[in-house]
Amino acid sequence: MALEGNLQNMALSDLIQVFHTDAKTGILFLKGTHERGVIYVADGRLIDAVVVRGKERTIVATRDEAVLQMLTWEQADFIFRYEPTVRKRPIRIVHSGQCLILEGMRRHADPVRTLSYYNITPETILHLAALPRNVRSGVRLSIDQWRILSWIASGQNVHTICQATGLDVPAVTRLVVELMAIGLVEIAPCLSAATEPAYRDCTMIASAAPVYAHDVPYINKNSRSFSNVCGTMRQVCSEIDLLDVITRCINQL
Amino acid sequence: MTTHVLKIVITGGYATGKTQFVRSISDIEPVSTEQVLTATTERALKHETTVAMDFGSIAINDQITLHLFGTPGHERFDFMREHLLVGCLGYVVLVDSCRPAHLPQTQHLLFRSMELTEAPFVVAANRQDDPTALPLNYIRRRLGLPFNVPLVPCVATDRTTVRGVLLTLLKHIAARLTLHS
Ligand SMILES: Nc1nc2c(ncn2[C@@H]2O[C@H](COP(=O)(O)OP(=O)(O)OP(=O)(O)O)[C@@H](O)[C@H]2O)c(=O)[nH]1
Ligand SMILES: [Mg+2]
Repeated sequence: MALEGNLQNMALSDLIQVFHTDAKTGILFLKGTHERGVIYVADGRLIDAVVVRGKERTIVATRDEAVLQMLTWEQADFIFRYEPTVRKRPIRIVHSGQCLILEGMRRHADPVRTLSYYNITPETILHLAALPRNVRSGVRLSIDQWRILSWIASGQNVHTICQATGLDVPAVTRLVVELMAIGLVEIAPCLSAATEPAYRDCTMIASAAPVYAHDVPYINKNSRSFSNVCGTMRQVCSEIDLLDVITRCINQL
Repeated sequence: MTTHVLKIVITGGYATGKTQFVRSISDIEPVSTEQVLTATTERALKHETTVAMDFGSIAINDQITLHLFGTPGHERFDFMREHLLVGCLGYVVLVDSCRPAHLPQTQHLLFRSMELTEAPFVVAANRQDDPTALPLNYIRRRLGLPFNVPLVPCVATDRTTVRGVLLTLLKHIAARLTLHS
């Protein structure tokens, strides 16, 4: 039982955010191309870290500096294991996860690559993230980050923010990624909610023998409309009050 | 006596817990079509995979029965999932809370399913019994799920949470029906 992946599917900044907001405890192991890293997490707080190189496991960096180095890695397999004994270890990392993330982003040549799975385009609409109650932040934002944040508060897209601030798309994208990495900003949902189908006409199967929707010869493969499917169904099944049937299911399941 | 049979589909990516979900709640011994996996990378996750479907059933009372169809998760059986989704009353999309690499695949599956059917769906974040599991708000953000799509915690091995997921789906269906009546 563990959380597993590669930094390409989930950046270290995302992992640190999740540890923090969900108060996770355990050990994160990262396996990069030439180096390996370990971060100890107790109740959401990063408490110690180390980066080693080669078979001899030469120590390259420890504590805050080790986390900062790992934040610049784009590719590494990771595994996070629950380990309650971490809570007994001494706290050797001074800065908060958010401070380290921001500093790591500043050091990165192209921080956008670390969160490439979010696919930010000029049309991307952004909004402020809902911050969990337990979040206490000591981060200091730059003037440009503040400017971007003020536009995001009104739900603008990247293109509009560029026009309003006079910054170009790469600059705004970089600033947006920095704010996303510390959990202040989110991309508005891309998956549009299923368009409300005409459920009014839905009458589900009612027949003496069990009939499965896909067995009935009405299926029009080109039709995704639920009401069409149900309409044709009525030709083969007697009508029932579907809402009544569903309500009975809810009460008796 | 009239029998009302409601078709619910349990779908999701590879090894997300679909077969287990059906197994935990079905009151008949579920019919499964598991086949042994041969590729080593796939075997790292599990030894068997569903090749056609899982079938389970829940008798609500003498007149109403829920039929649960679990789809295969493997991409090479996508046609089977698409076939099963057509004509369902609603569906559950299972996502593995411990495998962020599977999130883009789940997002693709959501888009594809919404193209195939307008039936309401809920997303169930499975393996929430693991203390390292991703929290729901992160899963919602990565899937780009709007707030009107329910996202519920799930432990497919635990009947109570499986029942909770099905109840959320039924309530979601009922809400849509009410909206349109
Ligand atoms: N601890 C835990 N184990 C689970 C959970 N859900 C599923 N499992 C286990 O994970 C393994 C894989 O689950 P399956 O139900 O076979 O997954 P599937 O989605 O049907 O897989 P495919 O048909 O191959 O796509 C099984 O051993 C399950 O018992 C869960 O919530 N918690
Ligand atoms: Mg299966």
